[in-house]
Amino acid sequence: MADLTPLPPDPVAPQGRPPGGRGFGIVLVALYALFALAATGRASYQLISEYSKAPVAYLLSALAAVIYLVATVALARDDRTSLRVARAAITVELVGVLVVGLLSYLAPSQFPDKTVWSHFGSGYGYVPLVLPVLGLLWLRRSRRP
Amino acid sequence: MPNYPEGVLSWLTVAVLVVAALYGVVALVHVVRDTIVDDRLLLTAVALELLLLAQVVVGVVLGLHTTRDFEAPVFYAYLGTLPLVPPFVTFLALKDKTRWAMGVVAGSAVVIAVFLARLTQMWTLNG
Repeated sequence: MADLTPLPPDPVAPQGRPPGGRGFGIVLVALYALFALAATGRASYQLISEYSKAPVAYLLSALAAVIYLVATVALARDDRTSLRVARAAITVELVGVLVVGLLSYLAPSQFPDKTVWSHFGSGYGYVPLVLPVLGLLWLRRSRRP
Repeated sequence: MPNYPEGVLSWLTVAVLVVAALYGVVALVHVVRDTIVDDRLLLTAVALELLLLAQVVVGVVLGLHTTRDFEAPVFYAYLGTLPLVPPFVTFLALKDKTRWAMGVVAGSAVVIAVFLARLTQMWTLNG
């Protein structure tokens, strides 16, 4: 039998941050949205018009775009599951920017054209390198009890 | 081939830059005073948005009729992306009434200026 007694109002709900908003989290959402846009644009252009020139780099561009999109949506949604998704996406992003950044120096022949992540994101003011670090720190700080 | 007045684009770009700068300043005042979205900011956003939409129309029309050798796909992508910026950041600032969100609005003015610079670069590089 379903219990139809209404639940007493929970004195501690709504959980989470004060009603002031989510602070720096909103800046993260905006930055991730910007990079999702930039990476998607760059990847689709590269894949459509010059795929054969550097398939590895361009597929990585596409991967970066997908990860930025996922991270943007997850950060914006801001519920428990989404934050877990965001943490996973941002971790992959950090690994990606480190590996691709390193490879673009070690094996430049595979990266004749820039991706968002090559040279640790130097073409984007190293924001792609800083962003995942900020993202992970933020997720760590905003973890709920 | 009709002679399309390409100067319209540069005048429009100047107008967008001026209004974007105004938008950035208005947002910055809000950041400093820690105040929330008001009519002045919204009206500036609307003006900016209308100019950006006008720029899309003019940019596409001129792009289709020009003999310039420019990176058309990237140019159109930037052109089409710009009008998305003011509604997005305004939405953020309406939902999240903190200095941080207002800071994003102020920052978006800089992003718009950078996009405009890239657009102008693409348009004039091989012209």
